[in-house]
Amino acid sequence: MNITSSAKKKGGLRQLVWWLLGVFIVAALLVEMFASSDPMTTLSIFTTRFLGIFIEAAPFLLMGTLVSGLLEVYVTREDIVRWLPKNPLLSTVAGTLMGFAFPVCECGVVPVTRRLFTKGLPMSVGVAFLLAAPVMNPIVLVSTYIAFGFGPMLIARFAVTALVALGVGLIFALSARPQDVLRPTSLAPVMGGEVDLKLIPLTPQPPKRGARLLSALRVASDETFDMGRFLVTGSLLAALMQTAVSQNVLLALGEGPLLSVVLMQVLAFALSVCSTVDAFLALAFVGTFSSGAILSFLTFGPMIDIKSTMMFTSVFKPRTVIYLIVLPFLMTLWIGVLVNQLGVF
Amino acid sequence: MTQEERRDALLQAIVLLGLAAYFVFNIVSGNITNYINARFVWLSYVAVLIFGAFGVTSLLMLRSGRAFSRGDDHQRINLPIVMVMAIPLVLGTLIPSQPLGAEAIDGAVSFNAFAGLNATVVQKDPLERNVLDWARVFTTNKAPGTFNGQRADIVGFVYTEPTYPEDTVMVARFTVSCCVADASPIGLPVYWPEAEILKNGQWVRVTGAFEARDFRGQLTPTLIADAVTPTEQPEHPYLYP
Repeated sequence: MNITSSAKKKGGLRQLVWWLLGVFIVAALLVEMFASSDPMTTLSIFTTRFLGIFIEAAPFLLMGTLVSGLLEVYVTREDIVRWLPKNPLLSTVAGTLMGFAFPVCECGVVPVTRRLFTKGLPMSVGVAFLLAAPVMNPIVLVSTYIAFGFGPMLIARFAVTALVALGVGLIFALSARPQDVLRPTSLAPVMGGEVDLKLIPLTPQPPKRGARLLSALRVASDETFDMGRFLVTGSLLAALMQTAVSQNVLLALGEGPLLSVVLMQVLAFALSVCSTVDAFLALAFVGTFSSGAILSFLTFGPMIDIKSTMMFTSVFKPRTVIYLIVLPFLMTLWIGVLVNQLGVF
Repeated sequence: MTQEERRDALLQAIVLLGLAAYFVFNIVSGNITNYINARFVWLSYVAVLIFGAFGVTSLLMLRSGRAFSRGDDHQRINLPIVMVMAIPLVLGTLIPSQPLGAEAIDGAVSFNAFAGLNATVVQKDPLERNVLDWARVFTTNKAPGTFNGQRADIVGFVYTEPTYPEDTVMVARFTVSCCVADASPIGLPVYWPEAEILKNGQWVRVTGAFEARDFRGQLTPTLIADAVTPTEQPEHPYLYP
């Protein structure tokens, strides 16, 4: 099967999923409206809840995409690889923290990491960066602080993300050879990688000064739409859940120390919301779901979701993608359940 | 630029500038506090700036007739994607802005007035205490009879359930830490012989004195009202813990 027809099939399937989701949301909303005694009030409450999440989250989405656009145009990546420590453990730690220097949303992290692999970035560092960067950045720090205040959830989010990313990165350091794990186009040329210029073209450098800024703004603007649709959909679903599902049902689901964590992980995977704003969605569940569940939503979601899984398949071989999903899933699950059992917060 | 690219750029500009205008309108009209905690309104200014910058970028592209380079690997922003971002704009402009009120309280949960509050002592003059302040004071001091005779002056919306006695309603507010996603209702029981004329969701101002009374099986400080006056919805409908 040639590339264009399989790509078209994938594209068609994705479109279908979006349409089905849209139909589901509208149908559920209508059912809810006409089941209640006052449809217009139900619609008003739903809209208020939806807009509340969107209005709080929008500035963070915008800051994230703006930074991402500026990074894409203004920063060269060769320097990063040169600056890393040589020791494998230290460099993996560095990879975990690199996100603070390169604040990228989970959508931006995959192309950046792929580009770095072609420049010879070690496996463990790349994987640690890939998993940690969506959370380890200043914008997520601020939005999580605003949503949860300065407290255990804020600290735990960062500590757990760092731990899991470091852990998975080190596992790759110990047991993986780049050529077994990466697709040929992602390998550094010295390892037999083909630098396919069609797949990894260099960002053309326009001659005029102002043109670079405009290019950065255009990239950022496009990314706002690309990521924004997940925020809008996630907010609609969260608002729908708060309006339609009774508190009792949510409490029943959210109390179980294990079930609640798994549910939140599945939800985080499905909603695919940008890490800069998912803290505000998590707030919608704070009254009903266990702390461990909320924590796993905030740590697993930024690492792995539908969107990032799709992108991983363009960098890693299929078996590796499975490891990249399962390892963080198990680790965050275990930590979430542990938090619930210990009753720490 | 192709015809299609021109059309997409125009639509993107409309949605982006529309969203910027929507935020401006919310800030200026004060509706913004129907959605978020007042201390985060400054973030909305940031949103206006950046939405505006992106919108202008699209307009500049149209004017110059050249598409600014996008780099690689990016999802093409086609019409359906632009339309999804238009949803908040459409809902925000078509549906009148309303804060959460009595109807948003999920009747399936027992409406515990003091649930989930920190026991912080309130230093305010008692007559300036609002519903949240009183709930906090009650949480610090467990004995319901302690407050007998203390006067209060509160504003809130009426909340009533069929199980409540005819002469007693809750006067409630929503508390919001960050945004409506975490909004939770708290309230005080109010005793007033003419309570049955009050409508669910109506905003009222109540003056009176507390007396420990049985409410839903528990001894609770209940506000015995001297006066219950209908009042306007406050500028900031939510209380911030």
